Amino acid sequence: MATSRTPRETAAAGTTRPRTARGGSGGRGTDGQRGTGGAHRGHPKRNVLITGVSSTVGRHLAMHLAADPRVGFVLGTAPGPRPRFLAPLDPARFLYIPTDILRPRQVRDLFHRPEFTEHGIDTVVHLAFVSHPNLRGRKVHRLNVEGTKGLLDRCMESGRVRKFVFKSSDAVYKLDPTTPVYLDENADLNHDPLADQWIQDRVAAEMICRSRMDSQGMDVVILRFASIVGRNVGGQMNAYFDGRVVFRALGYDPLLNLVHMKDVIEAIRLAIVTDTGSGIFNIAGADTATVSTFAEMNGRRCIALPDPLLEFVNRAMRRVGLTDYYYSVDRDRMRYTCLLDTTRAREILGYQPTRTIEFAEYRGLEG
Amino acid sequence: MTQEGRRIAWKLAERLLSTDDLRDVRSFAFQDMGYGYDPFGMERESAALTYVVFAFLHRHWFRVESRGIHNVPIEGPALLTPNHGGVLPIDGSMLAIDVFKRLDPPRVVRYIVDNFAAGFPFINTFLVRAGQVFGDRKNVEDLVRHGELVGLFPEGAKGTGKLFRERYRLRRFNVGFIEIALRQRVPIVPVSIVGSEEQAPMLANLAPLARLFGVPYFPVTPTFPHLGPLGLLPLPAKYHITYETPLRFYEEYPPAAADDPVIVRMLADKVQVRVQEMLDEARAQRESVFDVGSFGPGSPGGNGHGNLTHPA
Repeated sequence: MATSRTPRETAAAGTTRPRTARGGSGGRGTDGQRGTGGAHRGHPKRNVLITGVSSTVGRHLAMHLAADPRVGFVLGTAPGPRPRFLAPLDPARFLYIPTDILRPRQVRDLFHRPEFTEHGIDTVVHLAFVSHPNLRGRKVHRLNVEGTKGLLDRCMESGRVRKFVFKSSDAVYKLDPTTPVYLDENADLNHDPLADQWIQDRVAAEMICRSRMDSQGMDVVILRFASIVGRNVGGQMNAYFDGRVVFRALGYDPLLNLVHMKDVIEAIRLAIVTDTGSGIFNIAGADTATVSTFAEMNGRRCIALPDPLLEFVNRAMRRVGLTDYYYSVDRDRMRYTCLLDTTRAREILGYQPTRTIEFAEYRGLEG
Repeated sequence: MTQEGRRIAWKLAERLLSTDDLRDVRSFAFQDMGYGYDPFGMERESAALTYVVFAFLHRHWFRVESRGIHNVPIEGPALLTPNHGGVLPIDGSMLAIDVFKRLDPPRVVRYIVDNFAAGFPFINTFLVRAGQVFGDRKNVEDLVRHGELVGLFPEGAKGTGKLFRERYRLRRFNVGFIEIALRQRVPIVPVSIVGSEEQAPMLANLAPLARLFGVPYFPVTPTFPHLGPLGLLPLPAKYHITYETPLRFYEEYPPAAADDPVIVRMLADKVQVRVQEMLDEARAQRESVFDVGSFGPGSPGGNGHGNLTHPA
């Protein structure tokens, strides 16, 4: 079995909370082998549902899991018809079902589809989340917060789902001069009512996830990622380093951590297959350096401007389409260091970042 | 710094530092995370340039003398707990330079700086690159976990904010460092610094102005504020630093004692009494505050206490 658990992992999982004995998850053909037998030495392969599979992380995750013999069946959902890039996946390992999280009826139906029970889906990876400063409003909020809540409710209702993995980000942390260099999972969250909507949504969605962490029978895992860098990933840091010239706050040059897509996928995979119990895990990458150093590695000119001017320049550049980066959202991040303390992920998940970002390669791909 | 900036920094350092010093700044233990920064943001080149400036002050302006450097562990985590005084926290930098210069192999003291300073541009970046860390409990714990030599003022900002007539009378120590020392089993090295209070005698503290500017205190010294920012330059008082035998409380108390406020308070007072004794003794032995005779290139670092003189 793929997951050989070390004593430490077992102990850590044991201390997280008392758990019910966990047997097979139904296996392929709902043979009902659920029970106490064979609970340890790793369970049968996890069968995974991925929401938001049309996103870049979703696409990478689906392709990786469908090719990974340590994982069972993979079900992908997103609104609309199947994206073309999912076509080459082996139909015996992957199935796409169009589902709009905004429509509770469709989500309900999803859990009652024969494919869902047939393949014994026991793990849900929730990626359907809008996190772009430009996309806001009621509908986005409904997707981000109510969508997460609805999905969680359906998972618990179904009685089949044993693990719910929510992908979050380090944007939920509050940053100011008094925050430590390394933030652990208990650090203060950004509850600023003036924060950007998607940050507020993330915090709210996390809170909903955390309120279900004590539920019997289903583990809820939150993964807080550092800035993911890669082609088409979106996110503030990608938008930032995509500019020909990057601007930073004068007199500040904080440390920044970037995480490679391969490590992101590996962390999600570990969260799926490792018996961790409920919990939050910070996931950081192998690259830590200052904003200006990353800009230099990336072949960008880095110009420092005082704060008010920076805001103005950024807005002007956005207006003419030179950048997609929102300085106002990242004002604190551009001043104070926000690094993640990954002790928990290392000790409980066994996660270790391995991939450093090849800046030349990244630059070559973007064109 | 950019790659180009780093090259220039080394060229400057080569020109301004002696061979021994240059070897030290090139070779001190540094945990590079791949891009020339250590886990807390220190950069070797920035640290080297900072050393150039403050080592000059250490040698020629404050003519720092020290004894008992062998009490500072050459490896593993330790807390240095000196007294604090003199309006501007120059005492911390002099201590750090002294340890770097006189300890063999050299170690960087990771100083815990009031996080009030983190909100200022340039100051923030300069402090972090030079190896300082902003005051937060988690930061101290992480530094200790990394096996660093941590310097902190148990008095906090209360120490620099005291008036000249109260000089060298320690303010009551905060207790956080004792909790960390017990939980993570770290030795505490008591340190006394004499000379810092005379560098900028604080005659009055204009508290309303301090509130207005949002600073911990607003000093009136013989030169500040009427001489403007120049008045903040420290007077050349001669520094005497003493390091004492490390206190290993964790040998007598279990880590759980850190949860007992009475024990923690008692141990903090114990360290405070020790530092106060060292201060009184060092002041009694001091012959002159400014020791004008020790100026000039002929007598670097002075005499008397059997200190290690600065290598030429």
